[in-house]
Amino acid sequence: MAEGKYAKPLPEFRPETKPFWDGCKQHSLMLPRSKQSGEFFFYPRAFSPGDDMSADIEWVKSPGRGRVWTFSIHHMGPTKAYKEDGAYVVALVELDEGVKMMTNIVECDVNDVKIGMEVEVVFDDVTEEVTLPKFRPVSA
Amino acid sequence: MSAELGMKEARELLKKHKIVIAGVGETEQGKIPDKSSFHFLSEASKLAIEDAGIKKTDVDGLVTAFSLVEQTFMHCTTFADYFGMNPKFFSSIAVGGSTAVWMAAEAAMAIASGQADVVLCVRGDNTLSGISSSGMVALIREMCHAEFEFPYGLTTPGGYALAAQRYLHEYGNSREHLAAVATTMRKHAADKENAMNKDPLTIEEVMGSRVIAEPLTKYDCSIISDGGCAFILTTEEKAKELGIDNNLAYLWGMGQGYSHQYLTTLHDLGQIYSAVKTSGDKAFGTAGISAGDVDVAFLYDCFTITVLLELEGLGFVKPGEGGPFALEGRMERGKDLPVNTHGGLLSQAHLGAMHHVVEATLQLRGGAGKRQVDGAEVALVHGNGGIVSAHSTIVLGNQPLN
Repeated sequence: MAEGKYAKPLPEFRPETKPFWDGCKQHSLMLPRSKQSGEFFFYPRAFSPGDDMSADIEWVKSPGRGRVWTFSIHHMGPTKAYKEDGAYVVALVELDEGVKMMTNIVECDVNDVKIGMEVEVVFDDVTEEVTLPKFRPVSA
Repeated sequence: MSAELGMKEARELLKKHKIVIAGVGETEQGKIPDKSSFHFLSEASKLAIEDAGIKKTDVDGLVTAFSLVEQTFMHCTTFADYFGMNPKFFSSIAVGGSTAVWMAAEAAMAIASGQADVVLCVRGDNTLSGISSSGMVALIREMCHAEFEFPYGLTTPGGYALAAQRYLHEYGNSREHLAAVATTMRKHAADKENAMNKDPLTIEEVMGSRVIAEPLTKYDCSIISDGGCAFILTTEEKAKELGIDNNLAYLWGMGQGYSHQYLTTLHDLGQIYSAVKTSGDKAFGTAGISAGDVDVAFLYDCFTITVLLELEGLGFVKPGEGGPFALEGRMERGKDLPVNTHGGLLSQAHLGAMHHVVEATLQLRGGAGKRQVDGAEVALVHGNGGIVSAHSTIVLGNQPLN
């Protein structure tokens, strides 16, 4: 989409989240993991939310596969920018790494989305700075 | 300190101080564009003080919350200034839908620790008339993770819809089960003088209304309103000294439980039940009762799904059984467990759980008029903030804890 035309909410990066967004821009889904505990966590934080409280975080490239844990077809968006859109799917996807991500399910009819459906990441370059990872059904 | 010991300590404190809700006040509710946020706070405070039959100068503690319309950095003292008070204890609580319940608990703790004798808890806001469209967007943004959830167009109803969809999936429950919560609240609101929506509502009308975020429709979502509401906590002894005539509602127990702030970090529905149970168990344990002893319950009903999760998490019914319980009409007045006899956030008005606390007090006083639950001796109020994430529970009785 052309720069300046995207009117929907955009993420504001923080120092500890920037590696995630930098990865998205390169079309890589990078997940934070505590080096000390070996546990993935999401959303990215400066310190592992586990009991280790470790600030020693590594970024691991994810294959971007998972399943729809729950979803809701939204008929009303949060801002005016959604007014012209039809219904869209907001979903929580559970990645194979065990963490969940809020996302949109795209490239399918909204009525075909089901809990448990296998999905894979696709990257939506919404502006020059921001690429949002979204998910689509894994083709059979 | 173990949880059991904590409850024992709390029980001893509540038995010793006999903390009570001694006065309540509710303004008109609805679309009232000619009154400001601080107007509603003042009006509700005045009504509660008059209901208790005391003077403003008898009040020495103040607990407020926040406004969605007026930007205030120190809400409690901003209101103290406006209303002309000089409290020696003051606090602003902001834990979303848990706020009103925890205002009562915080007032009780202040009284038990000698910080104040008579604490006014008040909320008021002109949310319906006063909030700007940018203010509403900011609120929706704040209800989810601004960086990792909001860019996907997640709305506030959408967050609850995600929980509802998973709930229906796990238990094989249906849309009718959610809708039954809305119709029950509407039935109760018909008998509440200041309720905003009193027209009869059927399951078919709920399910046929505008879809907001599947599986939730317009009537699965609470209303937005203008209004104020207040209640006053003190001790039985102080109430007598001040000559308060009202029957008193005694605080028997309180508790909190937390599971997640953002749905992204929620592991499963069990985590929600666990947080509700932690909150409820602490309140029940302190009160020395169990769910079966509750005569009337006030459950946070910002969306229909929350009532079912709370019913189940608090142990009134087993997980998954809340839906059928609602559909069979068992939450209606005169049935197994009357829930939100004032119509709740779905049909009366939305000021957090303020009206839930006030209606619980009226029920225990025997002052609920047409809505009175026969033999109401024990009431529970449960609030939840965030997307079913931050829970607070209080148990009240019509007699001192013994």
